[in-house]
Amino acid sequence: MERVVSSQSQAKKLIKGLKSVAVTGRIARECINIAYGFFTPLKGFMGKAHINAVCEKMTLTNGTLWPIPIVFDIKEEVIREKTIEKGNTILLLYRDRALAILEVEEIFNYDMTKMKQAVFGTTDAKHPGVKMYDGFENTFIAGKITLVNRPKFQPPFDKFWYTPKQMRQKIAEKGWKRTVAHQTRNVPHSGHEWLMKGAWFSTNGEMPVEKLETGILVSCIIGPKRVGDYIDEAILLGHQKLHDAGYFRDDIHLVSFVMWDMRYAGPKEAILHAIIRENLGCTHHMFGRDHAGVGSYYGSYDAHRIFDQIPEGSLNIKPIRVLEWWYCPICGEVTYSGLCGHSKERQAFSGTMIRSIIQDKVKPTRLIFRPEVFEQVMESAEKYGFGSPFCTEEYLEKRQPVFKLPKL
Amino acid sequence: MKDIKVRMTEKYPINIWINEERHEKLKKLGLADMTEDVLAGMKVLRLYCTDDQKNQLLKLYPMAKYDSATTKSIELLPADAKDEMFELVIERKRLDVIEEFLKVKKNLSRK
Repeated sequence: MERVVSSQSQAKKLIKGLKSVAVTGRIARECINIAYGFFTPLKGFMGKAHINAVCEKMTLTNGTLWPIPIVFDIKEEVIREKTIEKGNTILLLYRDRALAILEVEEIFNYDMTKMKQAVFGTTDAKHPGVKMYDGFENTFIAGKITLVNRPKFQPPFDKFWYTPKQMRQKIAEKGWKRTVAHQTRNVPHSGHEWLMKGAWFSTNGEMPVEKLETGILVSCIIGPKRVGDYIDEAILLGHQKLHDAGYFRDDIHLVSFVMWDMRYAGPKEAILHAIIRENLGCTHHMFGRDHAGVGSYYGSYDAHRIFDQIPEGSLNIKPIRVLEWWYCPICGEVTYSGLCGHSKERQAFSGTMIRSIIQDKVKPTRLIFRPEVFEQVMESAEKYGFGSPFCTEEYLEKRQPVFKLPKL
Repeated sequence: MKDIKVRMTEKYPINIWINEERHEKLKKLGLADMTEDVLAGMKVLRLYCTDDQKNQLLKLYPMAKYDSATTKSIELLPADAKDEMFELVIERKRLDVIEEFLKVKKNLSRK
């Protein structure tokens, strides 16, 4: 269910005279996610009781599966200065524009060590999720969110933006009875392409094959970037190029994105990704090696095993568990590690190696990287990345925003 | 002490990726067999640095890094620096060109 005001005049009326608070990019993205239903059944930011349940039982207070707290952190001084109290409704501003209203239900502090340990299984400050939590302000506000201003997505993002409601409509239009989500933060090499193709076979299972009713939803994660990451535009357009160049049929493939600040919480985050894709209308979700992991904090397949630990019926999306795809010089093809017997001769896809090839602007062989995708990545570098397909300081400083908020 | 010895003898590769054009150049000079086939026909020429050369390179190119976790090679060097290294290989017809590369760069920075 969406929590978005229907008209500008209603929005203007709602925000008149409200105290306003500026929010960070992460909170803005999460307001949008809550309001459009990416985080259903959440209607707002969590209070202490919900967070306790999430940390202790991986559920909301009513027992609904939920793995990661969704919180609104704020400086205590701001609460004092603005005299924000329980029962108030406040206006949230992002980049000086009205974004949403928050109905203040609770103002509280929380034991961050408990939260970090529960979500990440560690409190090690080197873990990027822990680092993110260490940057949170010391006070939290819980309350329902209503979006008062619809974000206007900038090209090329506008072509790929679907709210859960729109995505469910799109899936229905395509006639897909089953949809498998492929989560990514990479431009696709052939290993990724085959991960998706393999997941399609698993998902299609016993379904008819003369008339295809199973689709792949490429669900890119768009969030904060660091120097050296692929630029967002190259990721989206690279995946779309696989489609446009015919490596995926038009009727079984769709590219979109979700705005989310990765926590790198491994198995817990895999559950959250499954919930988000269930809300988008997916019936299946592919999980590969090291899903949402970082360093050596989680086992390579912990994000698979966690699905064995959740009560039956708590998710309406099925995990598709996959091993690696590699190139085998004996088979002479990209093949599945669960099938190929030439493990000694295998040539593994290494993200770092592929990045190194792209960095050198050397066109890879078509077996490992489709030439059309390579050209698209290079074109995106020129058009959006100030000459580089990877984030540079210049890109981070000058890039166009993913979305803008119109003036109310 | 043991650690220092290991570091002194360890070699740090730089991966120069070889496309068809580069492969042709190497072939003409009879150097094509210096490349390694690493992934689905993707060829690489590995130039090895000493610990000291690695440190000098990382100082010269602060965005570069030694990837000790996965590739165990020096990564994120600018493409034009690698182009220059490749051209030195072609000119000198040998792989140990890093010392000369660093010397040229030092001379340039002095000017």
